[in-house]
Amino acid sequence: MDKTTENKNAGIQRPGTRHLVQLYAALLYNANLRGFIDGHIYSGDLKAVCVPGFNCYSCPGAIASCPLGSLQNALNAAGHTAPWYVLGILALFGVILGRTICGWICPLGLIQELLHKIPTPKVRKSHITRKLSYLKYVFLAVFVIAIPLIYGVGKGLILPGFCKYICPAGTFEGAVGLLQNPANATSFYQLGALFTNKWVIMVVIGLACVFCYRTFCRFICPLGAIYGFFNRFALTGVKVDPDRCNGCGLCVMKCRMDVKHAGDHECISCGKCINTCARGAISLKCGKITLKGPETGKNADPEPEIRKRKKAGRIAWGIAIAALVFAVAWFNLIEPATDRTAPPAAAVTTDRPAETENAAGTEAETAVPETQYTAEETAVPAVPAADAPVGTEVGNLLPDFSTELLNGETFRLSDWRGHVVVINFWGTTCAPCVEELPYYEQLKEAYPDVEILAIHNRAGAKKAKDFLADKGWDHLDFALDSKEKGLLPLLNAADAMPQTIILNKQGVVTYNAQAPLTYEKLEALYQQANEP
Amino acid sequence: MFTVPEKNGKECEKMTRTKLFLIVQAVLCAVIAVLLAAGALGLYLDGAAKQAEGDLFCYIFTRERAGAKLLPVLPLLFCALGLTAAGVILGIKDENAEKPVRDEKLLRDPGSIRERAVHQQADQKTRILRTAVLVIALILIVLGILNGGLEDVLAKGAAICTECVGLG
Repeated sequence: MDKTTENKNAGIQRPGTRHLVQLYAALLYNANLRGFIDGHIYSGDLKAVCVPGFNCYSCPGAIASCPLGSLQNALNAAGHTAPWYVLGILALFGVILGRTICGWICPLGLIQELLHKIPTPKVRKSHITRKLSYLKYVFLAVFVIAIPLIYGVGKGLILPGFCKYICPAGTFEGAVGLLQNPANATSFYQLGALFTNKWVIMVVIGLACVFCYRTFCRFICPLGAIYGFFNRFALTGVKVDPDRCNGCGLCVMKCRMDVKHAGDHECISCGKCINTCARGAISLKCGKITLKGPETGKNADPEPEIRKRKKAGRIAWGIAIAALVFAVAWFNLIEPATDRTAPPAAAVTTDRPAETENAAGTEAETAVPETQYTAEETAVPAVPAADAPVGTEVGNLLPDFSTELLNGETFRLSDWRGHVVVINFWGTTCAPCVEELPYYEQLKEAYPDVEILAIHNRAGAKKAKDFLADKGWDHLDFALDSKEKGLLPLLNAADAMPQTIILNKQGVVTYNAQAPLTYEKLEALYQQANEP
Repeated sequence: MFTVPEKNGKECEKMTRTKLFLIVQAVLCAVIAVLLAAGALGLYLDGAAKQAEGDLFCYIFTRERAGAKLLPVLPLLFCALGLTAAGVILGIKDENAEKPVRDEKLLRDPGSIRERAVHQQADQKTRILRTAVLVIALILIVLGILNGGLEDVLAKGAAICTECVGLG
């Protein structure tokens, strides 16, 4: 029996191996701990890889991508890029681990089990919950497959149905994880009906988990539904020895998931049934290797084998802890993608007006090291801002920079002093960004004097070029950020898109927020910035 | 007159205390959930009404307003946490949750469980299927890397899509 339930007389129960592994996985998936402090997400190359469990990639700590979010994104883009990569990743995880992932290495599973530990009356499984367990296939078909495919391929719109309307992991780890940080205070401005809806869903699911074991996992989780397809032939999982099994059904009766038999599509291989079986017919295996077998009773595994397993377990823990320490050190101290204070490369030059050269440093100023100001800073703007400190906050003078545009020309901010400048950060994978880009085009048509620079983040450059070639917008200036350019850290842009910075004719920031804009809002902001 | 033996009486009392504890904790959890959900709904309805009046830049949620709504929930939250800690230390839990579920409809055909086990043991077929899926998975990953799927995952994961996490 699991150690957590074994010692009924004890007050505080020792966490079992499974719970420790769950905690370990949650820490490993979220090893970018500095993200929780500085409010930014990790945006390095490892984000191209998916973790097996449910872990939102917008969580400030996440070091890799969520397989379900990636699947929706891939299906959304299936019209021009076949989703082979994500399907392959899911199949690989499924065939090796199956739903063992749900029971052992899913952070959302851990959260649900912790909530269920709250001592309240519990709802037990029944034939009703078993019927409800098929609901997750409906969520999979509708929200994960149909909506992204219909909107993506059929209408050319980005709509990750499950992420957008339901996913409690996205709300808890992503939205709440980011909002709790004062650095993301402007993110509150974009909250509305969608957030309210998702917040209520998260609270309801959380409450349900208190009373009903793994509510989300059993009735809603599409990722569990996908891995369930692989469970019968997955390399790792609960296996039943037919020579020992007498079909008594005790394993099914004791199991808290809605299984019909040990190891079926609902089984999360928690291993609770192993010592429940009086005949020692059940074991947790990875291929031919027994990970956990019956340790008591007449069919218990031989003592030397148990000792050997425990020894191997200790070695595995040693390696795993070393890997975790390395990951934490790497993502928090070494990995350059997490270092947002890294000075921008030489391609970007920054300057500031001579009048404000010695102005007191601001928080944003620290992000742009003094050493980066070059001799070009003698180019004093035609309309100097009165004593505005250099920075990215409203009321600050935005540091000057130059970058190469997609059309081959060079954009230099100081060249546009005397004009209202709008800088928009966008991405092809971000639906609100794509929706609002036409408003910028419309603004430029209505007010030709305004300069609009749209900066795409460094990933997905090819897709962005294809997208813009399709649209044919010629009023806007587009630039692609890159590791070398480092425009986003230079302008202290958040990881959240869309973000818009509006500068008045003196180059002073009049608006800087991570929020989608309507045309009416954009026009009002332009007029505000255009006031003398 | 009906009398309860002393031992049973103590057990009954303990059971009643446990039941009471569990019910109090359940009510507390439900109240917290209702306050959290109602707080967000209230903020949204207030803000939406102001926006409907034509205030373009009225923000529905702000850090301060959200904090003010959360504040009354905090004492209840700490109370629930304290009760949970006490419950865990004292070993209070719903004992029924641990008992085997003897639902006839769940065990319509217990014999089939053994049949399933035999079926699962059909090692040769399983092994072939497993190997085939593994090979297909690897081929798909390679194809995906070649067709830009890997870059798509990176593009999505490297920036926050505010809509996806419910921000807006």
